[in-house]
Amino acid sequence: MVYPHSHKTVLVLDHTAVFSRPSQQMVDFDAVTKSRGIPLQPVGKSLWTCNVEACMEFSRIIYDIFPTDRLISLIASNVHEAECLTGWKTQEQSLQHQMTALGSLPPPDIKEPADTSIMHGLTKAIKMLCEATPKQEELLKTQPDLKNKGRIICLTSFKSLDRIKVLEDATDLAIRSHNQLASSKPNLLPIEHCDLILLHVDPINQHGNITARSAVKISPQLQSELQPTLSGPHIAHKLVELAIQHFDLASTTITGIPMKEEQNASSSANYDVELLHSMEAHTELFKTGGHLDEIVIPSKEGLRIQTICLKWCTPKSISSELQQCHGAYRITPVDVNSRPSSCLTNFLLNGRAVMLEQQRKSGSKVISHMLSCHGGEIYIHVLGMFRSILEDPPSISEGCGGRVTDYRIKDFGELMKESRLAPAADASHLEELPIERAKGQLERMTRHWPMVIGDTIIFNMLSHLDPLPSLIVNESLSEDDVKDCRRAILYLVDLESRNENLPIPNSGTRGKGPKREEQYRQMWRECEKLVRCHANNSPQHAEVLECLLHCKGSTGPPSPKSEVKTENGSKDEENTYDQSMKTLERQMTEREKKDFNTIKKETDSPPVKKIKSEVIPRASAGSPESVLSIWMNKMAAKCSKRHAEFSGRIDSKGSKAELYKNPKPEPM
Amino acid sequence: MPIVIVLDVSLSMSRPVPVVDGTPEFTRRQLAIVAINTLLDHLERHCRLEFVSFIIFSSLWENKVSFTRDYDSIRSALNDLQEFSKTCLSSAVAAAKSSLLEEFGIRTPGQVIIFTDGNVGVGSGSLKDDLQGLDMVTESQRDFPCKIQIVCISPPKDPALEVSLPLYRKLIALSTDHGDVYLPDSVLSVSSVKLLMETLNVAHFNPFEAKLHCGHLSSSVNLHPAPEIYDKDHDFQHIKKGVSSKLNICGFLDISDIASPPFISKHLVLPVSSKSGLTDHSSDQEDSKDDEPAFTVLLHGSLKVEAMIALVEISEDWYGMMFSWADSKKKSNLMLSIFEPGAKAIPWLGNMQHLAPMQDFTTPPYGEDSNKSPFPVRPSERRSYAQNCVVWIKHSGLQADIQKMLRNARKLPEKQPHFYKELNRVRRAALSFGFYELLESAAQLLERECTQLPGNAHPDAAFQLTHAITECSQGGNS
Repeated sequence: MVYPHSHKTVLVLDHTAVFSRPSQQMVDFDAVTKSRGIPLQPVGKSLWTCNVEACMEFSRIIYDIFPTDRLISLIASNVHEAECLTGWKTQEQSLQHQMTALGSLPPPDIKEPADTSIMHGLTKAIKMLCEATPKQEELLKTQPDLKNKGRIICLTSFKSLDRIKVLEDATDLAIRSHNQLASSKPNLLPIEHCDLILLHVDPINQHGNITARSAVKISPQLQSELQPTLSGPHIAHKLVELAIQHFDLASTTITGIPMKEEQNASSSANYDVELLHSMEAHTELFKTGGHLDEIVIPSKEGLRIQTICLKWCTPKSISSELQQCHGAYRITPVDVNSRPSSCLTNFLLNGRAVMLEQQRKSGSKVISHMLSCHGGEIYIHVLGMFRSILEDPPSISEGCGGRVTDYRIKDFGELMKESRLAPAADASHLEELPIERAKGQLERMTRHWPMVIGDTIIFNMLSHLDPLPSLIVNESLSEDDVKDCRRAILYLVDLESRNENLPIPNSGTRGKGPKREEQYRQMWRECEKLVRCHANNSPQHAEVLECLLHCKGSTGPPSPKSEVKTENGSKDEENTYDQSMKTLERQMTEREKKDFNTIKKETDSPPVKKIKSEVIPRASAGSPESVLSIWMNKMAAKCSKRHAEFSGRIDSKGSKAELYKNPKPEPM
Repeated sequence: MPIVIVLDVSLSMSRPVPVVDGTPEFTRRQLAIVAINTLLDHLERHCRLEFVSFIIFSSLWENKVSFTRDYDSIRSALNDLQEFSKTCLSSAVAAAKSSLLEEFGIRTPGQVIIFTDGNVGVGSGSLKDDLQGLDMVTESQRDFPCKIQIVCISPPKDPALEVSLPLYRKLIALSTDHGDVYLPDSVLSVSSVKLLMETLNVAHFNPFEAKLHCGHLSSSVNLHPAPEIYDKDHDFQHIKKGVSSKLNICGFLDISDIASPPFISKHLVLPVSSKSGLTDHSSDQEDSKDDEPAFTVLLHGSLKVEAMIALVEISEDWYGMMFSWADSKKKSNLMLSIFEPGAKAIPWLGNMQHLAPMQDFTTPPYGEDSNKSPFPVRPSERRSYAQNCVVWIKHSGLQADIQKMLRNARKLPEKQPHFYKELNRVRRAALSFGFYELLESAAQLLERECTQLPGNAHPDAAFQLTHAITECSQGGNS
């Protein structure tokens, strides 16, 4: 378990008179205005302005790369007191909020005594660290022994080194007294460890007598380090470097970005953009490290860090292919508003993806990363560079079930489209998790779902059953829905009473198709099965079933049970054929026997292929049983063996019965 | 996972094994070859997609067969071995690991199986010598996921083992988190070595059997390679869990919506016939197996045609996706990608537990004719590069913003809304940064513009500029 210091960072800004001094950074803002008048004096930033800018740059990077679980609190400390500008609350963790809070702060008071201490700010920072963040509050429910760690970065100025020692001891004392207080209060957390970074800021061109000191352990709870820095852009660079160090960031420079020149739109020059992101995006490069020295260069943005140089590959097309992606990490440009940066980010925000390749000295190129945007956030994707252990996999058609050709691919595609997921607007008030409801929907939709075309009649004539099959799978039915279902059933009754053939394609059934009456019987049986497995959904569903049973009774056989009886009876009577026919029958299942017998009785001719027209088989009635018909029947029996297995699965004790029983919950 | 077979070909391996009850005499190396063949036979039956490579070592090492699925090439290499000098184990382990790393990278866990005789060598290059002073393990040495198994072709009561076993354990601990030493139970013989290999095979090379469910449709499947136990430190929690043998499809998404999500591992989903329960292609079962419809084939076909993926729950609070994947144009198969554990593994899907079926929405989330998408889920805050934030650390940033404001000021009153938008942006930033000096300068700048207005300028231009100047000069005091 890791309790990172970086979960909580408190930035303490010295708001005393010392920081109202100028930083000596002058900006000549009039140089580019192309004005004819008297040039204006360059404008100078105060030390305070530079500090605020640096802190906001730090926050910008962290908020861009870690939008959650990496929190920043801002504190301004003056002679009398310290003010907490932004706290840990989720809605306070944004640049906008920081800007508003800082805007309400008056400039450092120049009239105040110059010799002051930052101690108010540090005490306040420790108090902030004792406060639980929303994430910590949530964790406390399950982990009462949560370790509370944090980091304080303090931007101040010291007269002498002795002051620092005093300050560190006082901070340690403050931690201990706060921890004592926190142990007695339920809403406060004792500080397990605090990392204090003291930044001594001098104006540009003025090197003070303070020297850097690396981290030392003050007490078991406190570690402190001191770093002197100059104001102006230097303090901003310093804070960015600290962010890289504290949050485990790494840098990537994208080279060779083609960009239209501002002046000359017809030509384009190549630009570089440096990005920051989590170090994890480069773990693989560093660990396999063969060509590291060829692609690592010093930062081009003036940071004292190394950056990995990757080349822009002109995107060929907006492809929606799934990439071999091992990780996706948010990025932020080092110089966010520069023209090359905003060109690149806008390009990506518009939905394009850019491949990045390593250019090796040997001339070989390997695509290792990809930049693309998801929901307004840009990510660097780590792509697979190595041989896959799954190369040259067997084709699905080589495995079991691979040679079956009449899968209901299109129908299942429709089911998938109807079972697509979408983020629930607000899931907090729901009793059941939306994803469980999604599984429930799939359960309902697949209660009766034959996988191959040959196993079903009703799904081959869906347009005639509409909207019954799509409505019946719903959780509940309205009165209108019930009416629609009734209408669909009555349509079938009508169809049957008009002696019309079932509107199913002949090729859909395997082998020889059965007789019309039998088709209707099968159709009614399948309808009943479909409706019956939803009958318990709601009283309305039961109503539909009742209607179906009623209609079925009025036209076809009254109920499946009595039907079976008559079948058996007729079978015995008919059993007068020769031995080969008996063998054939033994191989057949109940339904096949019935088919066969009906055919023998009524047509005595192969009704194959002529099922479409009702007249022909009747006209040819009376001809003796031919070898062809025996062979066709045998083939039909063999081919449709699985039909019978399928319809018998409900009661079967064979290996297939499992499919249609409610899956037993397995121990997780 | 890819396997490196490492065989000791030092002289000590050629020692004959004491004869028991008139069995023919064997050398240790011959027994090791029997062991390797047992392993290869097992792989052929159960894990025929595994890549295996073969390295021999003594004081030097040599890669005899690089990673292949053609196990016969290893078998023939076994028949053509010479005798070399002494045992130097640690360099062989390093060689095996680097060959895995170079071939498959750090994200593919590998398996190194060493066949030796319990003799750790003497002098420089011996295991004892190599491990001296190596008590501390640095993170980088271990980060590469690799298991090391040492198969000792030696009688279990060999006195040499007293020295070598602790050293083996130390070697395993130093180079990886997972590994074991395998010793025969009884006297050395062909049968005891085969028995030993059975134990190893059962422990490490079993196909991962699972059942894929989509409501009432289901299919028995094997996952290849077998998913590893996830065991990793995260912020505030340690996650250790394995993939469940019940894979539940929760729903479906378009490939364009899932948009190349990061995954930790990828597995072929191979359907298993419910009758035979095995993957082997014995000819008598061929017909019945191929004739029986399999849900995975149906799923694969529809996913491929519709360019969609299936979101699969693979354990509690852990998800993955299934999709049609093709290595070449012709052969495609069903693949499972496993995401990081947790419902928020893919930021642009939001919380995966909060994904609802379409029927739960009053307005269809994909539009009437699938013409829109509820994805990606957008964060509440825009990122800095998408919100036009102000950064003036470099001179150019400030200069660009001032210039933009001025450009609009010169086109007053037509550009009045733009002018005020830019002016307010600059003013707000200046106030936040405590940069009051800039407001004064901006007032001067606008004043100069005001005086330089051409005679035919619209009177409103001067009026607006004057107003802006007053506001800027008051900025610092308000």
